[in-house]
Amino acid sequence: MLKTAVAGLRAHRLRLLLTSLAITLGVGFIAGTFVLTDTLKAGFSQRITAEADKVAVAVLPRERDPARPGEQAPVLSASLLERLRALPGVTDARGLVRGQAPLLGKDGKAAGDMATSGISVASGPLNRTTIVSGTGPGSDDGAAVLDENTAKTHGFQVGDTITVLDQEKRAHQFKLVGLLDPGVDQELAYTGAVGFTTATAQRMTGEKGFREIDVAGADPARLKRAVAAAADPGAEVVTGAELAGRLARQAGVETEALTVGLLMFGLVAMMVAALVIYNTFNILVAQRTREMALLRCIGATRGQVFGSILIESAVVGVVSSVLGLLTGYGLGAVTMAVLRAYDAPLPTGASVTLSPATIVIGLTVGLVVTVGAALLPARTATRVAPVAALRAQAEEQTFRTGLLRALLAAAFLLAGLGAAGVGALVMDPGQASLFVVMAGGAVTFLGVLILGPVLVRPLSALVGWVPRKLFGVPGRLAVDNSGRNPRRAATTTVALTIGVTLMTLISVVTASTRVTVAAKLDEQFPVDYLLATQDRDSSIPRSVGESLRKRPELAKVVQIRDTTATSGDTPVLVGTFAGPLEPDVTAGSARALAAGQVAVAASVAADLGVRVGDSLPVRTKRAGTVSLKVVALLGDESPLPSLTVAEPEFDRYFGKLPDSQVLVNIKDGVPAGQARKVVDAATAAYPTLKVASSTEVRGEFDETLDMVLMIITGLLGLAILISLLGIANTLSLSVHERTRESALLRALGLTRPQLRRMLSVEALVLGLIGALVGVALGGVFGWAAVRAMIDGASFSVPGGQIALFVALSGLAGVLAAVLPARRAARASIVGSLAAT
Amino acid sequence: MTLTETRRHAPPAVVARGLTKVYGQGDARVHALRGVDVAFATGAFTAIMGPSGSGKSTLMHCLAGLDTATSGTVHIGDVELTGLGDRRLTLLRRERIGFVFQAFNLLPTLTAEQNIRLPLEIAGRRADQVLFDRVIRTVGLRDRLGHRPTELSGGQQQRVAVARALISKPQVIFADEPTGNLDSRSGAEVLSFLRSSVRELGQTIVMVTHDPMAASYADRVVFLHDGELVTELDAPTPQSVLDTLMRLEG
Ligand SMILES: Nc1ncnc2c1ncn2[C@@H]1O[C@H](COP(=O)(O)OP(=O)(O)O)[C@@H](O)[C@H]1O
Ligand SMILES: [Mg+2]
Repeated sequence: MLKTAVAGLRAHRLRLLLTSLAITLGVGFIAGTFVLTDTLKAGFSQRITAEADKVAVAVLPRERDPARPGEQAPVLSASLLERLRALPGVTDARGLVRGQAPLLGKDGKAAGDMATSGISVASGPLNRTTIVSGTGPGSDDGAAVLDENTAKTHGFQVGDTITVLDQEKRAHQFKLVGLLDPGVDQELAYTGAVGFTTATAQRMTGEKGFREIDVAGADPARLKRAVAAAADPGAEVVTGAELAGRLARQAGVETEALTVGLLMFGLVAMMVAALVIYNTFNILVAQRTREMALLRCIGATRGQVFGSILIESAVVGVVSSVLGLLTGYGLGAVTMAVLRAYDAPLPTGASVTLSPATIVIGLTVGLVVTVGAALLPARTATRVAPVAALRAQAEEQTFRTGLLRALLAAAFLLAGLGAAGVGALVMDPGQASLFVVMAGGAVTFLGVLILGPVLVRPLSALVGWVPRKLFGVPGRLAVDNSGRNPRRAATTTVALTIGVTLMTLISVVTASTRVTVAAKLDEQFPVDYLLATQDRDSSIPRSVGESLRKRPELAKVVQIRDTTATSGDTPVLVGTFAGPLEPDVTAGSARALAAGQVAVAASVAADLGVRVGDSLPVRTKRAGTVSLKVVALLGDESPLPSLTVAEPEFDRYFGKLPDSQVLVNIKDGVPAGQARKVVDAATAAYPTLKVASSTEVRGEFDETLDMVLMIITGLLGLAILISLLGIANTLSLSVHERTRESALLRALGLTRPQLRRMLSVEALVLGLIGALVGVALGGVFGWAAVRAMIDGASFSVPGGQIALFVALSGLAGVLAAVLPARRAARASIVGSLAAT
Repeated sequence: MTLTETRRHAPPAVVARGLTKVYGQGDARVHALRGVDVAFATGAFTAIMGPSGSGKSTLMHCLAGLDTATSGTVHIGDVELTGLGDRRLTLLRRERIGFVFQAFNLLPTLTAEQNIRLPLEIAGRRADQVLFDRVIRTVGLRDRLGHRPTELSGGQQQRVAVARALISKPQVIFADEPTGNLDSRSGAEVLSFLRSSVRELGQTIVMVTHDPMAASYADRVVFLHDGELVTELDAPTPQSVLDTLMRLEG
């Protein structure tokens, strides 16, 4: 039996090659994911070990109390540092300072969206900062170093003078002496970092305490006990090795998220690959009916026939998984090279390796999926009766819709669509409803899978309508052929449907999110400019808003103030506003808030468990605990703080605080450039005060969405590619089956180009069927998902994008047909007529 | 002039001169045709006979432009096939040649009527409705037109194939063992239908067969042996064909 299996493999080399490619791509993606994340993890741990090796013992402040989220991060005191330095066995001890030290860009405005972090760079053996060019600040209080990325974005070079604000927002100048690499510290990579001597760092950030104290010395274990005895209660003392482990775990969590995210796409790809394999083996078995029957005639048992197919699939599985592992290694290496080329804030130092775990996982997944997908076809093969060997011609496969199939499909579709409907329309938007919609999607998909063969004929008639008219006889024959073997066509197209469904879903969700957010923004406050500090704190002098209000170029100026307070144990943001703002009220009325009244953001009201009419105790700074009557609930997109009170009351509770935000609208007819100048002039004196225009904000939001859409679409592209292999495969198998038919058509006067066109149109029709079903499913579930996620969401169908998906699917189908069509057209008529 | 006289004076529909065909190379060389000179009269029903492997199918394929000869020339009417490219050959088949094969003559996805009209549609020509009706009547398929090939008997399938070949009024119809897969009754039906289309429609037919009974329906039989044309018979009967064959093989 092994021999016949091998002979079978050899006879169907080309077709099996296409099949293997499907598995190779799927396994390659999964292996590539592991190679990439393993390499990143290795890079992280190299860095971490290098850093932590310098430290014998580290002291960390107690963890932030989760019950008190508003609290400042706990720090270690300077006196502790002194005490530790005095301990026997301690050769050196350094406190690590970290706080805000906004760097000013060349335009005089604070650089970046977040205030730059100011950190201390220790000198001596305990220096854990990696300087990549120039030197560290050493003991020079007038020197500073910047992280590479910030230096690059803002055009600073070693030798330049940089300006940094201290905590009083006073500007100080420093000489840039070097560039640092933030390493595995994601916070620094995010905010950007400017490093000083410890003294300067304390002066600039205003931080008196330390985030960590590193101790050098021999025998870490003994040192740990000594340090622990001297440290404040609650502070945590760890050895360098333990510190490394902790940092590695943090980094691991991040790479884990990446792994899981990428594996989802790998899973989709493998699912599609499984369909492709299932289909290929099914067709191969159908074509080899006589061969199987002959084997049975000469005495092969059913088990042997079954086994020979499984052996065939196992060989395909192993070969393609091995190729997949190689592909994965290549993918991982290429991705690392790209990350390196773009200076991504990730450790790219480690060498790319294929770990034993990856090899085992890759081989197992590839083998299990291939053999699993071949099980049903193998069972079909055992059903071949020995007499089939004697029949002259393989019968044309007929397909009738069974009652069971119809009932099953109806049940699945009803359940799936019903669940989606409930999730979208009945349940409150949130994770639970989204989950229900997703489950509904999966069930509906199963329904479509069952119903597929029934759908193929009508759908091919539908999408074939134009090709029929356009391409004459070849077109008509092609459309007929596409629906000729409904089961086969359905499996082929469903593979494509998966990818197109997901792509459509994602693009519907992003488009809907876009219009929903835009609509809500417009509704709330069609603001042209938003003035806020980098920290979004209450520190905009009120004079800024007041002077803007007097400008004739501006129509509306709204000043918003807020501060944190507590209600019971819950920290809340209490604020007020001045100016023409119509808050979006979801319950009650917020018109003319009187003393003792409060409007609450709906989600916060839910958290606090209050409704309109209830009273809410709030502890204020100046007026003690006041009881406020809830008169209105506000929509969650409102720019107002979670608790909004009248202005005089706010002043009474908290004093005359500066503004946290100023919202500005241009008067109609005033050019944007002119208004912008007015606003810029009013804010020029305050470097941390940044002006965002609504078009900029929306542009950034759009860019982020576009980016997400692009990445996801790119990753789904793999599934699409595999499904195209499926189309090519089915087509080439069909071409093989129809050798004599093609020869007959050629004899009757069909030219080679016409024959090629016929196959292209058939593939086009298959591609379009797959795409149409995908677009329908993706549209419906995209709508449901949007409804399930966002309250009062607007639904938007990105028609252009979807039309593009459909067109590309059709085109891709045609591309998939190129090789099979060429082979069919090349075949000699006489030779093919003689073929059996 | 009578129809028969016109035919007698018309130039032959197909002429082959010095046709040779060699398959394979070296030791595996097979001379399937060794210099065949033959002409097929317009409006006549000619049978090509010979034992299995004598080169009948090869000759037919070369005459019909399905295969290219190693040397020699073939004319269909006034067109010389030698040296024509695939596209010109295809168009020539479309315009001037009809085919009936031994098996697998019809597209399984099309109904009988669609199969019959297929060559015309490929050529983008309209069917001559009078001819269509006449052909359908002669073949006796009127109530079978909507059926697919799988729903037709072998004999019916071959009759559909003949109807298809006739409908485009080709200069010549080539039939390769058209009754090879049929029982004798269905075979006889198809053969008499072929003969009547020659008599009544003036169709030229060249039929390959190894069955003396089938050959006897023709006006003339040419005999192939080992790739050479050895003899021919006018107005054959089954017995005379059989005798000639016995003589050739004996
Ligand atoms: N494609 C081919 N390759 C090699 N030899 C062939 C091929 N086709 C036919 N032959 C050989 O040519 C000879 C004539 O074949 P053919 O024309 O099919 O004979 P017939 O139709 O009279 O039985 C035979 O010996 C046959 O084996
Ligand atoms: Mg033959």
